[in-house]
Amino acid sequence: MSQPSAARSEGQIGSLIVSAMFMLAGAFTLYDAASYTDRDSQVFPQTVAVILIITAGISFITRLLKPNDRGGIGQGSWWRRIVLVLSMLIACLLMPKVGFLPAGVIAFAGGLIAAMHDKWTLRTVLLYWGSGSVVMVCFFSLFKYVLHVPLP
Amino acid sequence: MNWDHFLTALSPLNLVLALFGVAAGTIVGSIPGLTATMALAVLVPITFSMDPASALILLGAIYTGALYGGAYAAILLNTPGTPSAIATTFDGYPMAKRGDGDLAVALACFASVCGGLVGAFALLMLAPPLSKVALAFGPIEYFWLSIFGLSLIASLSTGNLMKGLAGGAFGMILSTVGVAEISADIRLTFGSQTLISGFGVVGTLIGLYCIPVLIDLVAVPDRHLKVEDDVKTVRIAEAFRIAMRSKFNLIRSSVIGTLVGILPGAGGSVAGLVAYSEAKRVAKPHQKFGEGEADGILAVESANNATVGGGFIPTLVLGIPGTPPDAIVLGALLVQGVRTGPTMFQQSGSIVYTFIYGLIVATVLMLPIGLLIGRYAYKSIVTIPKAVLVPAVGFMTIIGTFAIRNSISDVVIMLCLGVFGWVVARFGFAASPIVLGLILGPIAEQGFVQGWTIGAATHNLFGMFFGRPISQGIIAFTLITLLLPIFVARKNRKSKQGATT
Repeated sequence: MSQPSAARSEGQIGSLIVSAMFMLAGAFTLYDAASYTDRDSQVFPQTVAVILIITAGISFITRLLKPNDRGGIGQGSWWRRIVLVLSMLIACLLMPKVGFLPAGVIAFAGGLIAAMHDKWTLRTVLLYWGSGSVVMVCFFSLFKYVLHVPLP
Repeated sequence: MNWDHFLTALSPLNLVLALFGVAAGTIVGSIPGLTATMALAVLVPITFSMDPASALILLGAIYTGALYGGAYAAILLNTPGTPSAIATTFDGYPMAKRGDGDLAVALACFASVCGGLVGAFALLMLAPPLSKVALAFGPIEYFWLSIFGLSLIASLSTGNLMKGLAGGAFGMILSTVGVAEISADIRLTFGSQTLISGFGVVGTLIGLYCIPVLIDLVAVPDRHLKVEDDVKTVRIAEAFRIAMRSKFNLIRSSVIGTLVGILPGAGGSVAGLVAYSEAKRVAKPHQKFGEGEADGILAVESANNATVGGGFIPTLVLGIPGTPPDAIVLGALLVQGVRTGPTMFQQSGSIVYTFIYGLIVATVLMLPIGLLIGRYAYKSIVTIPKAVLVPAVGFMTIIGTFAIRNSISDVVIMLCLGVFGWVVARFGFAASPIVLGLILGPIAEQGFVQGWTIGAATHNLFGMFFGRPISQGIIAFTLITLLLPIFVARKNRKSKQGATT
């Protein structure tokens, strides 16, 4: 299969899935809105949900009949994307237990590993970790001691 | 013009406060998650022991600086530093990606100064009559204003209109999550305590705009932004020429910003979106908005800074703060023993006029300070190795999102929305319509429900929604914005067909 047609089918399937997801979100909103006690709370979400179902539905049908969507998940390293997101997520989940700064170090380390495309040398290790530590400590101090944000 | 008040505003202390305020505000605004409201709230206690006019000058300078600072992150990182800079990302980031980030930063500075001055002069000369505009806007006018803002989706989604509309509707549904403002029903929370307070705007902005950029950045070894070999300075002369060429856009957007600023609850983000929409509507055929068009940045940045002066009009004349920063300034005024109201300009004239002149001075000072900080911000972003930039920005997104409501759940939601935004953007569902829906949804809902209730009670629903003159004007602009691109496209198609036959 040639690359353009692969991208087209990937784009089409993705568009269909996202459109279907939006239609489901609209349907769930209608279901949820039926349980509200006040009519004033219902009218807006119901109206918007109907609009969402119609527009996502048209998008779904259009993509089904005219599969001309390009796009897709694209080129590039998958493990780097996953490391970045996972490290940030793990940092958030560990934050209440280990504190903000250690959790921030986990997120920073993940981001650094994910974004480092050059060869590691002693100089880059020291320089990048050093500058990263300065950034983290400065921001932590700014938020905690100047802005009095109750960081865990 | 009272020279005494002007000279008082130029006293060394007031100049230092204006200088410090603008610089601090610009830096605060440039950091995603740190808002003008937060900076003002932290610094308000310091002002209690100051002379009232000096205190107000400091607060006004921070506010105006923060609105401009929001443009840096919007242009260089595709992340609005403040919600007011949402529409700056539309053209700012594409400009930065093609190597014109320095020009974009300079344009934002010129536009912010122009907008700030128009707003401040409106406050100085037209405050009492303009404050009546705030009272002329009822719930229905707010509803139609939000619909006008949403009409921007049509122009943001060229070739993907249904996807854009679906994204906008999805954003509006996200805005309904949590406790309903009007009737206190709990909506769409799936039984989760975390979602009861809804989706925070700043966290959502950071998630939908910044996280996808980080995910894309780590995947490939290319540079973050395209740059010339030697990064010298921001392109001031070129930016000035462009700004002068677009002076009508600048003035129109500044007036829009001032008028929207007068409306309580609208604020810089709505002003920026409305001004962007207008600039796009009257654009020349060669201008490509959304692909790095200088006029887009000029429109948004002049409008959002004009809301500073505009917002102070109802705050000072009517005692109605339009935005959270206005409310903080109002609180500071009350602590200082200054009573706001229609007679304020007579009873506390020396304080008010010194403050307004101080605001003008601070706005003028923003030009050198903004260009200087902008130069270093640009140089830093383009020269920092990506391996440090990505984790540093990632760390800032976490701490910035946490700081808004001191909630770890907000950070997790921000991250999830970021991944969601990245996935859907891959298939043509852009983040901007979702964000527009999220921001304008609450204004639309409140206006719609209140208008409906009043219309039903007076047995005049049609007249309520379509019979009021201001509403009719906004509806006309909305229809023009929606239909003009279709009309122009059809006309172009016909003229092409004519040329071929």
